[in-house]
Amino acid sequence: MAASERLLRLYPRAWRERYGEEFLATVGHDALHPQQVIDIVSGAIDAWLSADVRQATRTWRLAPSGGKAMLKSMMACGQTKMRFTTRDSLIGAGVMLGVTLVCSVVGIAARRNGWPVTGEILKSLAFPGSLMLSMPFTFLKGQPWKAQVVIVGGTLSLLVAIGYIAALI
Amino acid sequence: MGRDHRDDLLADLGRFSEPALYILISLADGPKHGYAMTQDIEMVAGQKLGPGTLYGAIARLEARQWIEPLPAEDRRRPYQLTAAGRRVLHHRLESLRAVARIGRARLAEG
Repeated sequence: MAASERLLRLYPRAWRERYGEEFLATVGHDALHPQQVIDIVSGAIDAWLSADVRQATRTWRLAPSGGKAMLKSMMACGQTKMRFTTRDSLIGAGVMLGVTLVCSVVGIAARRNGWPVTGEILKSLAFPGSLMLSMPFTFLKGQPWKAQVVIVGGTLSLLVAIGYIAALI
Repeated sequence: MGRDHRDDLLADLGRFSEPALYILISLADGPKHGYAMTQDIEMVAGQKLGPGTLYGAIARLEARQWIEPLPAEDRRRPYQLTAAGRRVLHHRLESLRAVARIGRARLAEG
């Protein structure tokens, strides 16, 4: 299997169904430059996160070939600039503040009670962790729950691992 | 200088606004598929669009109905400008021309 085909698997299935064939035809079967690999990977992240891209691919799946009018009308109905409301932003901000506060206080308490590693991890996690946990209310709102779990859970796991290593050094 | 709402729509594409502009320019003289667009853009603007960027921009332009897909030829699917896309491109190029004129005038003064 060519590298381009393996990288294509990083994209959502709907995206692959819509653009996969022409994407591979455009990339070709030559060896990929590192810049191209980075571009394709960042394109995959964008395809998972962008409401515009998801809109384009979802609409294509729903519209049978020849359903041009249907495609157009659905796209027109689905065009929205706002993907989260002011209320969602406030909830996200509240989650950020709350998690930052809790992590910082518990981290300080843990350190003072003889758990320095746990304390360091919690303190280092306070801001980035709270940012990640607020994302389901803002930037990740409307995305599939699996994608949210992978993005938030994966990033938090990575942050905990980095915090643990940093605390031990 | 006031900005037209069509400018704002193009700016809404964020980091894809420049690739999207190149794609609109590339399609201005007729339909092209992805590979032909990248070749044309490289020749015209000296920018080689990566496939991730290219299809990210294509999806956004499609979602806004500024371009539309045509039936696939072999594995390649050509795209063409819509009337709305042509208007957006025309307006954007006019804006850029005005900016370039001001820039040149200021250079001449300096």
